[in-house]
Amino acid sequence: MSDTALKEEDRTPADAPRWWERGDVRAVFLIWLILSAVGIAFAWVPAWLMGLSASSEMDDVKMTMTWFTAIAMPVGAVIWAVMIYSLWKWRYRGEQPPPDDAPGFQTNPPTVVMWIVISAVLTLFVFAWGLVKIAAISPAMAMTSAATSASSGLRVEVTGNQWAWNFTYPQLGNIQSDVLHIPLGEQTTFAVSSVDVIHSFWIVQMAVKVDANPGAITYLTVTPTKAGTFEVRCAELCGLYHAAMETTSVVSSRKDFDAWVAEMRAVKPVSSMTEGGA
Amino acid sequence: MRRLVITLVTLVVGVVFVAAVGITVTKANAENQLTVQPALSLGTVDTANGKLPHVVLELSAWPDSRSGCHGQDGGAHPDWVTFCNTTSLSVPAHALVTVRVHQYDAGEKITNAYFAKVHGTADGMAVLNGKSFNEIPPDQVGHTWTLRGIPSPNQDPLFVSVPLQMADEEKVGDNGYPVPNVVEFSFYTGGPGKYFWNCEFPCGDGTYARFGGPMSTQGYMAGELTVV
Amino acid sequence: MAIATHEVSAAPGSRRAGGVLLRKMSVVTAIACGLILMFAAHYWAVNFFVMPELPEGQDAPSALVYLLENRVTLTTMAGWVVGFMLGIGAFNGPVRWFFGKDLSDADLLYQAGKDQGVWRYFRFTTDHKVVGIQYLVITMSLLGCGGTIAMLIRTNLMTPSSSFLGPTAYNTFVGMHGIIMIVATIIMVTGPFGNFILPIMIGARDMAFPRLNALSFWLIASVVPVLLSTPFLGGMPTGWVAYNPLADQAPPGMDAFVMTIIVFAISSAVAGANITTTAVKMRTRGMTWTRTPIFVYGVVASVGLAIPAFPAFMASQVLSGLDRAAGTTFYNPAEGGSGWLYANLFWIMGHPEVYVILIPAVAALLELTPVFCRRPLFSFKAAVVAIAGIVGLSVLVWAHHMYMSGWAPSLGGSFMLTTELISIPTGLLFLVFIGTMWRGRIWTRLPMMAVYAMLWNFVIGGITGVYLSDIPADSAMHGSMFVTAHFHYTLMGAALTGTIGAVIYWFPKMTGRMFDEKIGAWGFWLIQIGFNVTFIGMFTVGFAGQPRRVFNYSEAFAVGNFVSTMGAYTIGIGALIFLGVVIASWRRGIVATANPWGAKTLEWQVPTPVPLENFDVLPVVTSDPYGYGKSDARPPDSPSDRPREGVGV
Repeated sequence: MSDTALKEEDRTPADAPRWWERGDVRAVFLIWLILSAVGIAFAWVPAWLMGLSASSEMDDVKMTMTWFTAIAMPVGAVIWAVMIYSLWKWRYRGEQPPPDDAPGFQTNPPTVVMWIVISAVLTLFVFAWGLVKIAAISPAMAMTSAATSASSGLRVEVTGNQWAWNFTYPQLGNIQSDVLHIPLGEQTTFAVSSVDVIHSFWIVQMAVKVDANPGAITYLTVTPTKAGTFEVRCAELCGLYHAAMETTSVVSSRKDFDAWVAEMRAVKPVSSMTEGGA
Repeated sequence: MRRLVITLVTLVVGVVFVAAVGITVTKANAENQLTVQPALSLGTVDTANGKLPHVVLELSAWPDSRSGCHGQDGGAHPDWVTFCNTTSLSVPAHALVTVRVHQYDAGEKITNAYFAKVHGTADGMAVLNGKSFNEIPPDQVGHTWTLRGIPSPNQDPLFVSVPLQMADEEKVGDNGYPVPNVVEFSFYTGGPGKYFWNCEFPCGDGTYARFGGPMSTQGYMAGELTVV
Repeated sequence: MAIATHEVSAAPGSRRAGGVLLRKMSVVTAIACGLILMFAAHYWAVNFFVMPELPEGQDAPSALVYLLENRVTLTTMAGWVVGFMLGIGAFNGPVRWFFGKDLSDADLLYQAGKDQGVWRYFRFTTDHKVVGIQYLVITMSLLGCGGTIAMLIRTNLMTPSSSFLGPTAYNTFVGMHGIIMIVATIIMVTGPFGNFILPIMIGARDMAFPRLNALSFWLIASVVPVLLSTPFLGGMPTGWVAYNPLADQAPPGMDAFVMTIIVFAISSAVAGANITTTAVKMRTRGMTWTRTPIFVYGVVASVGLAIPAFPAFMASQVLSGLDRAAGTTFYNPAEGGSGWLYANLFWIMGHPEVYVILIPAVAALLELTPVFCRRPLFSFKAAVVAIAGIVGLSVLVWAHHMYMSGWAPSLGGSFMLTTELISIPTGLLFLVFIGTMWRGRIWTRLPMMAVYAMLWNFVIGGITGVYLSDIPADSAMHGSMFVTAHFHYTLMGAALTGTIGAVIYWFPKMTGRMFDEKIGAWGFWLIQIGFNVTFIGMFTVGFAGQPRRVFNYSEAFAVGNFVSTMGAYTIGIGALIFLGVVIASWRRGIVATANPWGAKTLEWQVPTPVPLENFDVLPVVTSDPYGYGKSDARPPDSPSDRPREGVGV
């Protein structure tokens, strides 16, 4: 396609409407406004569906979902507005192919450029948002074993087995439990591993998740912000009973947590091998 | 008109086909063919939670599948360790359930010592050959019986895990298998629900993490418990 | 008349009674040969792979039992595949070449399907139009298999504690549904239309390598029974991603998966080489790259992307097969291996692969939108750049599937950047669509409605992809049903919808009949409505925290799952109606003219049915194929195929 200059008589006349004055553009803009408003009005739905939040990470995720949805609605609405308008205004009904009388323009460089620029800006905004949020949670994600041993909070060793979780508290006399008890408002560090296949340790209402890999330890920290009972699920298919590899996490006050620890430590081990063996 | 007929015929044939596949699959599925073993009633018992029905489930754990509950020649996998008579269990709701396991298999060191301890039973203990215990040496585990459910708003949680100590291979009984260890434990059931149990001692020898083969197959080392 | 790409051997005496065996080979001999070689291989394997003699009283090493079992299984399956390919006549060409007895012209025409009627579809036929129809039929069969399994899965998920399928059966069906649909969606546009339409569209008589074309199809045909044998071999517990080390633990059903992927990777590589060479070297005179239809770009981009990607998949499965059968420990951390090795190899394929699926379907819709809007494709150059951008970026994003794996937390930000950058070229494709529609004469036939449906679905799929690309959000979403809903919106809502549009659009050229849109619209819209109900229901339970690949779930998710299942049944009904209309129209549809849509690409300028060698005289192209609508820069009496340009709103 060679570039030939437009002849004098083919140029757009000086008194033709500017692009923002054209009827089509105005109509699409109006539809876009309405769709965007309706869409933004529903931006709270994803966060509502996500339910309770028990950590600042989950609060952040819910806020991210709300804002991303709110921004995404006008973006999608551009497409939907043109779709709706096209079906109303430019529809051709007939058995034979339509006549060749539509405008034959092949491109519109300002539109293409503007489109790319706006999508780049939105993309970089979303990326920057993600980076900011990662900075809040990333201390755990890049943690080394040395750093976690040095950290002062509660440490829980999370072991994934096929098909149950168990939790060990090395600082508290190595008590073990199938239910994750952690204290409210204090930072807990999880050292997560697996004895067999890859699992994924997920405290649903705290939006914390990290895979449990055999032969490696991955780390996670969280500070629960709400007391209650929350769900712990396995998020990586691990065989027959992956669906049943779920337990709960009980977040309680420091007092109640200590009481639970004391109760667990008070259990006297009675081996089957005492008094001469089985 | 002809096209409409062909289309509708395709639709009907298609629906029938998919339904037939569904029915065949659900009926033929080995997991759906396991017989359900209901617990046997022992009357009622006074407990800390009031007067409750008391039932017992008799199970046995074997080093191979030739003891009879998989057919005369051991079924499809005669060398697989297995629980018998079946792994589909049924117990009543709001009851005290006593499980009695005759454990005929040898054992080894367990990978996760958590499962060498007793969890979730009515008094926190279990009984081995008449003696109370709440943990066994981690290098003498034969199998475990570990039960849990999917946490759900309408279903009471249950978590029970009891280690089944390995039998002494030197002492051979009349049936050619070692003299079994008898492990007995009890737990309370809540409301109705569907729960899953499996052995958490890796005994699927030869597979990765020893959790393949019988460990991953209902009817052998994994099963379901329905609280009705 | 010789087929242009073949050189006839002129050696004296080379025209001996050749091609006798050739004329007898078909899918019947293929199945027979496959069965014979399968039993032979099995018999040999069972006797060769035996436990070594052991001293008295020593137990067999149990790992060896499983290694031997897997060796026998893999050998048996390999026997079937090799036997099948022998029996279909895939090796005839190379063997004859080796012995200096190349096929004669008559043999080549025979092999291209001349004068064989319907039987040519059941043979190793080289005519690209035959291979295209074969691909269409196998694609629809695979979609039917995968769809049936989906109905079973959704039935099991209708209630929280269903025992309709047990856990083993459920996990197996989830994995089979996944891999069957992945294979089907990879081939669904490139196979039928990349083969049938693309050579005609570029003005060629056939593809560059007609025998390789037939080979790529029959390799897939050979391996479908292998894949379908999985449930009878103990199933597979891993889902279609077949993560190791879990796959190492799996019963012999996993070997079927390994074999399927290895053979499928070969088929894709062969097809990729064929399509790329055809598009690059065989465009007719005058068809410069700026006059090449966008569909060609899309298909070439897709197979070009498959070339770096699928070998990684094959490697991942070869290593998995070795771990399972040879006792290696590539993926066993206890012996120095790593599950992360598998994850990386897999996802290096797994991400480009979704663009392999998506790009041809979107390119097919880009091809038909100008026809149904009667306007040139808006910014052809932007469309090409967008496709190139997607291809280039898609090989740099794979670890966004591994954000939560703990493999390389410090690289998380980089992968987040590359993943989010893909939305820029993808967004540009949306602009091309709406720019083409702008002020057009929109002919709302069913192919054009596929464009509308795709745009709706792809917006949702694309935006939810952005949610997942955000690492903190992924902490909540990874491994939940949200991911499943997202990729169904892109792979099914966008790619499959695009394929449906392509089927209806090219139906008249491929079958000679018009697709009945009156009845077909019912099927089409039931699929779309059912689809949106199913997967919006799935988004809700994904947000609420339901993990994926679970056979039972908490009662908290009951309503969303029930709604999802009802939507799935609706899709099933719609899909069956669509299938019925395909069959009905093929048998009894209105006979089509050569160019019912008034389109300008070359495939519509040949008669229907398309002659064996497509063109009497190869065409010469003087303009791009999007010369619709009025041109402001054109004098009123110029010929309509003058090179055009113009800007305006």
